[in-house]
Amino acid sequence: MDESKSLPPLEEVEPLQEGYRWVAITAMLFAIGIILHTVSPNVGGVTPNWTIAMYSIVISMFNPKLSQAVGIGFIAGLTLVPSSKSAFPLGNIASELSGAILCCLVVKAMLAAGLGEWKLRPLVTGFLATMASGSVFTFILKLVLGLPLSVWVYAMLPVVAVIGLLNGLITFLLFAPVKRLFYAQEGRK
Amino acid sequence: MTAQIAIEKFYFAYKATPPGQVVLRDINLKVDKGSFTCLIGPSGAGKTTLCRAITGIVPFYMGGRYAGDVKVLGKSTKGQRVSDIAMHVGFIMEDYESQLVSLTAGEEVAFSLLNHGFKPEEVEKRVSWALEAVGLPGRETYRLDELSGGQRQRLLLASTLAVEPELIVLDEPVSAMDPDGAQSLYSLLASIHRRLGTTILAVEHRMDFLLPYVTDLIALKEGELLVADSFDAAAPVVYQDAELRPLLPTLWQMKLGLEERLGLRLGNWRSEEEAVEDLKRRGVRAKEGTGHVGS
Repeated sequence: MDESKSLPPLEEVEPLQEGYRWVAITAMLFAIGIILHTVSPNVGGVTPNWTIAMYSIVISMFNPKLSQAVGIGFIAGLTLVPSSKSAFPLGNIASELSGAILCCLVVKAMLAAGLGEWKLRPLVTGFLATMASGSVFTFILKLVLGLPLSVWVYAMLPVVAVIGLLNGLITFLLFAPVKRLFYAQEGRK
Repeated sequence: MTAQIAIEKFYFAYKATPPGQVVLRDINLKVDKGSFTCLIGPSGAGKTTLCRAITGIVPFYMGGRYAGDVKVLGKSTKGQRVSDIAMHVGFIMEDYESQLVSLTAGEEVAFSLLNHGFKPEEVEKRVSWALEAVGLPGRETYRLDELSGGQRQRLLLASTLAVEPELIVLDEPVSAMDPDGAQSLYSLLASIHRRLGTTILAVEHRMDFLLPYVTDLIALKEGELLVADSFDAAAPVVYQDAELRPLLPTLWQMKLGLEERLGLRLGNWRSEEEAVEDLKRRGVRAKEGTGHVGS
């Protein structure tokens, strides 16, 4: 459009659709995450946690309020409980709550620091969310099974870090296509 | 005539539109009740955005920056919910498949009725009426994958018709159809327009299909209104614009070209038969085998 022509004062309207869209997208991505979680093979004791990758994408895309992130984390934890093969399945609720909350805080911090357009943002959020979630989950396991601290630090946390890297990569690779898919209709960035 | 749509000094920019730019600029137009209006313009002219503005999706659902007012059926879209506007304004999007949400044809038509709070017995009556109106009688139990693309498009029209809207907005409804399918859909729309008096606004690149039925024409270019008038008055204005000229019906490009070159004043043709009759009356004959005309 011709920029030389003057414009009257324009009124800004917030999109109403965002009020519901993030809920629908979260539900859809969780469903995809559960299916992938069920069918993903375990390679050398390492399986990517698709659910964390999915909520990292949602949180990175919508920058929800902290209370909304708590909701996302709680639902994510609940979805993992039935298919969990661990000694304490309910630990998933606490771990995913931690992951979603940390992810939300990291996204807010990055946006405040002007890193909103940084391409590696999903990789960092996916990695940190998995580290938070995995650390909490394995620490609960350590407590439940009465394992020594050294087992948690030297055996469990390195595996969490590997899965974190894997999840960060998955979040990074899926973020752009998911964003394009959901914003395709209005041509938004 | 009463205006079904009245747009005044309307400007709009999406959230992602760079500051200082707009997608629609200073749009002022009226669409009369009972008219069959065609909206044309090159890609990126703002046709889809204008359709969205008429249905309240822009700016109040999608967000953005705007000035001016869009009144539909006498009421400003500001402060109205998209679902309330949808009670009176049917919208068929270019990507019509994305509007289909059910498993069977009957459920699809019933979906919008149930969402609008119609009673089950009324829903049943309207579903069979709407399917019959679009030439799909008795297909209530057909699964959507049992219907062809053209039938699915008709089904969507049935879903729109079922709520008996006063206005139907169609964004390139035949873009994915072959010429026969396109002709058939527009002939169906024209019969609905005649029988029910529904106002029709259709975005169309291939105006040839619409020529027999169109009453008014709106042309947009680079987000600005070029002309909005009766078809007979607006077409010569569009013809003067080299970029928009190919969007006119072929018959009218020929008619306006002849008028310009030969200084004639030909009739307002709506079909090839009318054109041939008019030219014969004026003593214009095709030279056999040459494709040339002479008088």
